[in-house]
This record gives sequence, C-alpha cells and structure tokens, in this order.
Amino acid sequence: MGTNPVMDKSMTTTESDLNTAATTSVTQPDDRDQLTLEQIAACDNFKSEIHDSLYQETSIINVKDFNLWYGTKQALFNINMPIAEGQVTALVGPSGCGKSTLLRSVNRINDLIDGLHIGGDMLLNGTSIYDKSVDVIELRKRMGMVFQKPNPFPMSIFENVVYSLRIDGERNKGVLEEVCERSLRGAALWDEVKDRIHESALGLSGGQQQRLCIARAIAAEPEVLLMDEPCSALDPIATGKIEDLVEELRGEYTILMVTHNMQQASRASNYTAFMYLGRLVEYGPTRDIFTNPHLRPTEDYISGRFG
Amino acid sequence: MSQEPKTGFTGRRRVRRTSKMVKYGDMMARTCITVGGVGTILAVGLVCVFLTWKVLPLFQSPKVESAKVVQVEANHGKIIHLDLDEFRNISMVVYEDGTVVTQDIATGKKLQELTLVPDGKKLTAWSFGIGGKHMMLGYEDGSTRVGDLGFSVRFLEKSEAPVAAQELEIGDVTAVDGVIYSKTPEGQLRSQFAKLTLEDPIAPDKDSNGSAIRLIDHTIFNESPIYVTLNDKGDLKINRITRKENWMTGKVTFSVSQGDLPYDTQSHADKPAYLKLAGLGDSVLVSWKDGFSQRFDTRDFNKPVLAETLDLTPQSNHTITALQFMNGRNTLIVGDSSGELSAWFRTKPEGTETSDGAVLTKAHSLPSGNAAATAIAVSSRSRMIVVGFADASAAIYQVTVGNQLVHAGIKDSKDAVQAVAMAPKDNGMMAVTNKQIGMWNVDPKYPAITAGAIFLPVWYEGYAEPTHVWQSSAGTDDSEPKYGLYPLIFGTLKATFYSMLFGLPIAILAAVYTSEFLHPRVKAWVKPTIELMASLPSVVLGFLAALVFAPFFEKFVPSMLACVATIPLSFLLGAYLWQLLPHELAIRLDNIGDIAPSPTEKVNPLRMILFKLGGVRLVCLFVMFALSLVAALALGTPIEHLLFAGDVKRWLDGQIGNGIGAWMILLLPLSGLAAAFVISRVVNPKVAAYGDTRTRGKVAVLDLAKFLLACVLTCIIAYAVSALLNGIGWDPRGSYVDTYVQRNALIVGFVMGFAIIPIIYTIAEDALSAVPTHLRSASLGAGATPWQTATRIIMPTAMSGLFSAMMIGLGRAVGETMIVLMAAGNTPVMEMNIFNGFRTLAANIAVELPEAPKDGTHFRMLFLAALTLFAMTFVVNTIAEAVRLRFRKKAIQL
Repeated sequence: MGTNPVMDKSMTTTESDLNTAATTSVTQPDDRDQLTLEQIAACDNFKSEIHDSLYQETSIINVKDFNLWYGTKQALFNINMPIAEGQVTALVGPSGCGKSTLLRSVNRINDLIDGLHIGGDMLLNGTSIYDKSVDVIELRKRMGMVFQKPNPFPMSIFENVVYSLRIDGERNKGVLEEVCERSLRGAALWDEVKDRIHESALGLSGGQQQRLCIARAIAAEPEVLLMDEPCSALDPIATGKIEDLVEELRGEYTILMVTHNMQQASRASNYTAFMYLGRLVEYGPTRDIFTNPHLRPTEDYISGRFG
Repeated sequence: MSQEPKTGFTGRRRVRRTSKMVKYGDMMARTCITVGGVGTILAVGLVCVFLTWKVLPLFQSPKVESAKVVQVEANHGKIIHLDLDEFRNISMVVYEDGTVVTQDIATGKKLQELTLVPDGKKLTAWSFGIGGKHMMLGYEDGSTRVGDLGFSVRFLEKSEAPVAAQELEIGDVTAVDGVIYSKTPEGQLRSQFAKLTLEDPIAPDKDSNGSAIRLIDHTIFNESPIYVTLNDKGDLKINRITRKENWMTGKVTFSVSQGDLPYDTQSHADKPAYLKLAGLGDSVLVSWKDGFSQRFDTRDFNKPVLAETLDLTPQSNHTITALQFMNGRNTLIVGDSSGELSAWFRTKPEGTETSDGAVLTKAHSLPSGNAAATAIAVSSRSRMIVVGFADASAAIYQVTVGNQLVHAGIKDSKDAVQAVAMAPKDNGMMAVTNKQIGMWNVDPKYPAITAGAIFLPVWYEGYAEPTHVWQSSAGTDDSEPKYGLYPLIFGTLKATFYSMLFGLPIAILAAVYTSEFLHPRVKAWVKPTIELMASLPSVVLGFLAALVFAPFFEKFVPSMLACVATIPLSFLLGAYLWQLLPHELAIRLDNIGDIAPSPTEKVNPLRMILFKLGGVRLVCLFVMFALSLVAALALGTPIEHLLFAGDVKRWLDGQIGNGIGAWMILLLPLSGLAAAFVISRVVNPKVAAYGDTRTRGKVAVLDLAKFLLACVLTCIIAYAVSALLNGIGWDPRGSYVDTYVQRNALIVGFVMGFAIIPIIYTIAEDALSAVPTHLRSASLGAGATPWQTATRIIMPTAMSGLFSAMMIGLGRAVGETMIVLMAAGNTPVMEMNIFNGFRTLAANIAVELPEAPKDGTHFRMLFLAALTLFAMTFVVNTIAEAVRLRFRKKAIQL
C-alpha cells in the first residue's frame, strides 16, 4: 500500500486501488505544476495524472501496476490506465516512450520476445490477461490488431479478410462471403475492390492495404481494436480515409491507437494518454489534454515545444 | 585568412577527392569478383566440356583402311582355315589337303610351307580352336590328332639375326628364309614364323572299323581335349581324353571316356554338315545343311541325351553356309545362303522342359550381307566377328549390339571368300578367296558402345530376355562386358528417393518447429547443433551405416518396421493425453517454457531446468519418443509372429507365410487416412453436440477415445483389405518388399537422410525465419495458433526457400558417394525392393575408376556415368531454380 505521504498528497483520483504501487526509490516532486521531464525520468514510480472524467466511463481494459522489462532494461514503469469502452483512446509520446510496447502487451503479442518479463496485470472485461491460466490464443481472438506497416498476407483479398474465420474452421461459403463484404464495407474498401476480391492483396496500394488489414481485424468481431501507428506509412489522403474509418467505428469498437501525429490524436480520439520514457504522464479527455493539460510536460509536448 | 584551410563543423576538413588507394582497392575488388564469378561459371562449363570430350570418342564410327591384296601363292584345293599374326605381317592359309602356306602380306611372297599330314594319311576333318593355336584333326583311317598351329615370336640379339635383318630401321620389316624380321618401336629385333607341332595320333576305337572322320569339333578343358566326331559310318561320339601324370615316375597316361549321341539318322538323306561342341563340352549341336539341328545334353559323357530339336534357318529355302561359335562357345553365329546372320545362345526361360532346362534361342539378327555368308571367324578378345561373303567381301560385326562395323570387298573380284580371320588384337581382318588374300587394317574404336546399348535393354548372352545390366568386368576373358547405365541411374534414384522419404519430412518439420514453436532461447543452441551434423564426414556416416546400423537393423527387423508406426502414434497419443490435463494446469505448464521468470521472482530449480530445456511439451515429446522405441522393441516379436509367420527374413524371402503382412505395411498409412475420414464424417457429426455442452476435460476424453477408435479402425481396415488382396492372389513380396539383404535401401535412406537433414533443415529454417515478423504478428494477433500460422501463412510465404532446401538436399543425395558406397551393397540390380541394395552412379565411379584402363571403353563409360550424374544434378538444380523463382515472384512484394 502507498506508504509515501508525498505520493498520496499528489493524487488526483479518489480510487484508492490505483494507489497500489511498489516502493519508490525516488521522491516525487511536491508541486506537480512545476514537474519537469527530468523529474519524471528519474522517478521509478511515477504517479500518472489521470483526469477524473475517465472514471465516469465504463472501462473495458484496466491496466494495473503494469511493469515490463526487456532483459534487465525496464521499458514500462508502473502503468495504471483504464481504457474506456466504445471510445477511441490515443497513446502519444516521443519515440521510445513505450506506447507500442504497452499496446502490444494488451494482446500479449510481445510474449515471444526473448528476455521479456512483466509485472502487474491487465484486465479485459474483468478477466486477467496475464494470469498463468490464460489461453493466449483465446485472448487474441478477442482483440484485433492493426500494425504500423500494412501487412496483408500473400493471398487473395477475400482470403485475407476471412482469415480469422478460416482459422476458426468456418467453411460455409455464404457466411464467408457475407462477412467479407460487411468487413470490407466497414473498412470503406468494398467499392474499390469488389471486382477483384480474389486477386492478390499485395497488388493494393498502401492505404488500401491498411484498410484491408482493418477489415481483416473487424471480420474477427473483436472486443478491442488495437492500432499501432496505423497511418505512419501512409500519405495524407489515405490517412484521412483511415481517420474517417476510425470515426465510423467509434461506438462499435473500443479502439486503442498509438500515434505520432498530434493532429490525428486530436481529430480522431476521445481520450489521449501522454507517455514519456515508459511512464504514463497524463491521461484524460482529448480536448482537455490538448487545451488544458494539467502538467507542464504534457503541454510542452502537445504544443510542440519538445519531442 | 583565405590561405588557411577552412575547417568544417566537426573541426576537420574533408578531402573530397577519392584517394588513389581507395580507387585502386575498388578496382581490385571488382576485378577479383568478376574473375571469380566468370571463373566459376567457366570451371563448371569446363568440367562439362571435359566430361563430354572424354565421352564423345565412344560414339565414333569405326575406321577401315583400304585393303592390301596379295595373290595366293599356291593352290592345294579348298581353303579350310586362315590365320593372321598379331602384327599383321604374315598370312597363314590351310588347305584341305593339309598344306599350310604362310605369306608375307607386304610383298605377297611365300614364306613357309608346312603339312598337317606327316604320315600321308588323308586329312578328312579339322577343328581349329578359337583364339588359340590349338587344333584337332581327323584322318581317313578314323584316327585323330591334337596339334598346335600358330605363330612364334622371338626377340633376337643383333648377332643372332641374319645379315639382311641386322640393320633394320624402326618399323621396317623384311623376310629372310621364311622368317619375318622387324624392328619394334622400342628398338628390339623381332622374328616371327609359323610353327606347327603335332602330337601322336590317337588311334580310332575298335568298333569304328577305321571309318574316316567326317566332322570334328573340340575344346580344351583342364588341359585335356574334349571332342566330338562323326565318322563315315555315321557314329556320332563325344570323347574326353584325360591326361594323368604319375608324379613319381613322370609317366603320362591317357584315358579316354566316350559316349554315343543318339542323333536323328532317318529324316535326312545327307549327313550332318556341322558339328559343334558348346560350352565346356556340356552340349553338342548337330546341324544339317537345311538348318535342321539337334542339340544334345552331354553333361553325362556316358549317357548323352537329346535336349531339343530346332531349325536354325526358319526361312525354308535358306541353307546354312557358315556356322561358328564365338569365344566361350556359348553364342552361335549362323550364316545362311542369303547372307543373313543370326546369333543364338542357350537361355533358360521358366517352364522349359528340355533335359538341361535350356533352349537355344535366336537373340540377335545381324545386318545381312549381299551374298551368302561363306566363312565366319571370331575375335578372341571381344564380341566381334568377321564374316566373309560369296561376293569377295568381308564385314566385322559387334554381336552384342548387333551392328555391322565395317564392310569391305576385294577390288575387281567376284570370287567367294573361302576363309576369314580376325587380327588377334582386333585391329584388322583378313579374307581369302581362291586367288587373293585381302587384309584390312581396322580401327573398331569402341564397338560395344552405342546409345542403344547404354540406354535400351540389350540381350546379353545367357539372359532370358533383353535387359538393362551393368557388369563392366568379369572373371573370364570370354564374357561380355555389359554397359547398361540404367541400373546405376535407377540405383541413384532409389537412394535419393528413400533418403528423401526419410529426411525431407523430418528436416522440414524440424525447421518449422524451430522457427515457429521453439523459444528463441532454445533455438539459439538447437540450430547450430543440427548444422554441426552437416560437418560429420559422410564416410563416417557410411561407416556407421555399414558396420553399426546394418547389423543392428538386421537383428531387429520387425521392431524397426514397428517403429514406423509407433513413433508417430506415440506423438499423437502424447498430444491427446496432454489434452486430458486440466486446462489451467496445461496452460501453466506451457507458460513454464514460454514466459521467462522475472528477475525478482524466486524460481524453483525444476522449473528453471524445464524452462532451459524449452518447456514441458518438448520434454514430454522426448519421453514419448523413448516410450515409442521401447514399444517398438517390445512389439517386435509379437508382430513377427502375427504378420510374418514367425521369421521375418524367411517370410520376406517368400518361403513362408502369406502376403497379408506385406500388404499391412503398405496399406497402414492409407487406411489411417481412411479411418480419419470415417471418424470425421461419421463419428464427428454425431458427437459434435456432445462436445458443445461438455467441459473441456470430457471433450478431451472423447478425443482420446476417437483417436483410439481410429487406431483400431485403421488396423481393421488394413487387415481386411490386406486379406482381400491376398485372397485374390496378389502378394507384394517380390516387388516392393522382397528378400532382406543386410545392406539395403532402408539403411541408406536412414543414414543418408541424416546426411541431408542438416542441409535441408538449415536452408528451410532460414527461409521460414526470413518471413517478415509482421506477417507472423498479424496471424497470431488474429488469434491463429502457431501451427495455423505456420501452415497457412509462414510456409506458403517461404515456399521458394523450402523448395530450394528440398532441391539442394536432393542434389546432395544424388551425388552422395561414401554412404551408398559403404552401405548399399553396390549390386547394380534394378528392384524396387526396399530391403535390397543397389549401386549408384557416384559409387560406381568411385569403385571402378581405379581399375579401368585409361581411355578404354570402361574408362570412358565411367566418364559417361559422371556426365549423366552431372546432367541429373544440373537438371534438378535448374528446375529447382525455376520453381523457386516462381514462388519468389509471388512473395516479392512483401
């Protein structure tokens, strides 16, 4: 339990369970308004600035005291973060801050990295993600993932979309075709590819490929859609289409999105989390983060003063 | 200030001119790489050119020089024999009155005149040995005489020679007093002359009443002659003279054993025209002019029996004009009045009812001449014959391939050839008419080799039908070398097939396992270990195969066969048992290997060991493997009793039991598939509902039950079909499974599989690992299991690499020498039998090249084998590259 009075004092939340943190070696600064990046970086047990409004939302994923090490190097420090259901949450921060690591930890795709180990846990709809009895395959079936680089499989567009149905053993052609069309429509790709869905997916343009990957992800009926910088390899027009898509999918799916693009975060997301060197610095409604951040470093980063 | 060099941001000024050393280095590197690259292509090309250059002479056509024609120097009637010395200097003509005249071929001068009738009795029958000086003569009083007629060669000191011969230059030849003198290329003085020795006559036996010998033929067995005679009275007798030397007194005594041949005296008015003794005197052929012949089995000298009656000239109007045995007295050459020539030998087809189980069969028809074949002479060192025709021409034939090599005639002559001779070194032929002697220098090149002889079935002497045989050398001179490449190509393919059958699935699956399932931490030492296997010299593997595995396999044949079933079954069983574990426990056990303990956590040592070993599943796999071996050993004896009538080797030999066991082996995989089909189509729909409502544990029990049911079903299906097929009368023994030989294809497949596994594995693993991680992540992220990811995404994407791996393994297997040399038994047989050996092209070259005389037929044939091997690997690699590029094109956009 929190034994550090300084830490307790700085808390902005009434949720006491968020206070469960490992013992801290470095004292947090008293005045959070004057907090500097150096102080955050020096702090192993940084207490994130989480806006109240998040606790009014139903959270679908709850990250609890999450720590992660690559070998002996710690990449994530004590992350506590509820993710709102049916909303778009953006993770922003400078390179190397652990956004992608956090995102990839949600569906345990990091598992096979040698030397990786974790502490703490995440809950998906109340069930543990990191419990030793969790079947990771079943876990991943509950989440869809879209990667930084479009990564369609070297097969036809159709087969790409229905991949998750194929691996579940679905053979009914009617079902497959229906799901394919719906997903492609959902990903705003249907009109462009409907005449050639049996041609290789590798012949599509980058933006189309990325939308195909989104179609593939939503064809699996996931509870959460994880997007790891989905537009970083795309031109502005394709980016615009993806953002429109995210806008449309909002409500249907919970979307957790990593982005480097501040405008994108402000345009597309409901909530924004700012991370720095493995710490979650500030997390709140996107409007507040962009217009009225609580912490100086957040403001500096958002306004482009560093990073 | 402007003089001072301007320094840049880093405080140093960069020299923008590329230094000479760098340019020089660049040029050198480019040159070296170009030379290296072009050199490699050139080297491979040159190997091919060199091989081809060594092989091409095999297919050259023979050369014949124009004839040297000399006039016959004497006339003593019909010519009965012609001979030629090994240096082609002297001709020897034997007349029917017993006169022997030798002539200098260069000048035509008569050299010597000898006689075969020293006591004035008229010569009535003669038999001149093949390739030797030995002859046997028969006289008018019924007596016979053994003799030697041939050429004698002596090397002389200068002083011993007559004056005219002392100052010869190298290559010069001169005749002095009936002796030819010549200077050899080595500078020695050589004299040659005809030499005749006649032994005392053998008196006729009492009941012949001094009837003249009409026909005689003889052969030499154990230094004593066996001969057949036909006298005027019509007695046909086989005689054997046994020579005994008393080692105390040195006195030589002869004993004669004799038998009467009961030949057909009724059907023909005339007497038999030809009498031939076959083999080592175990068979006698009597032929009449019209081709009607009787063959006698004379294995028992005292009681010859008629073996068969046949017609040597099936066309009724043709008559036999020449009949001669080839060297070895097995192949009979028949020449008839129309110039047709055929070769006959005894074969032993199944179901023959002759007393010696053999029938004289017409095996080859040689290209016919334009006129009647009047004389035949045979080579004493090869399968070539010389045939003289009635139009003053002569031809050389190669009997095995049935080719006419050369055909030449004496200019401006229409006289029938009376006798022919083959030069002892096969480098010339001679023909004599009643006026002229013609001698041709011939270079036959490589007469036994034609494309047909190499790649098509050839009817070799003594074989029941044309076959592919490789038998490049034999114990005796009179055998036929057999250069059919097919058995070697077949052996190469058989070795490749069985080793790929064993090695390919293991290597590919191992690669999939290491790249997709094994934790990178374990892979880091597993991969180098397997690659280390490649450095094991193949001679060591071959040595192990021949001296360790082969005897071990032989000892435990049924167990080894059982392994084929128990190993995969035990893995499957393990998988089903694993499912029986409570779900949470299974996941926990999995996580032991997958998730590294955090550094702060206290870990118990057992868990750490399991983690290091790559997880509980992998350890269990090894346990199941060990169990499967134990099971196979334990099952060996029961299986042997159940399927193989208690003794697998005698059973394989076909001596005992029936074909059910063999069918079971062949059908088990198929019936396994059938059982799986039945389960999925019949059982699964019925229990699907059950699975949806029950817990994981119960479903696992159900799965296990289905698996066991499938096993039982497989056995039942296999047994039922086997029994049915056996009932119909099909027995696979004799084809795919047959007599067990210690060094066999199974051993080679197993050990060579080990040799190719590291290569295939490494390349395949690299190809799989090279598949972009983002595809793997995408598939896993979509909820696919590692196996689904591997089979649906990774393997199709890496197909070009997997294919290359397979083809490189194939190339290695095709060219592998030492393992097959040591473990395959090296018998060039063509049988699919997995329990039999074979000989590959590579092993054949390794075995035979040291003993093949340089530039001989055999030597060049081995180069052809090498060229074939080269072509095979070249084709394999080219196809591999083409297919690889096709696959690569599909994945290139990734």
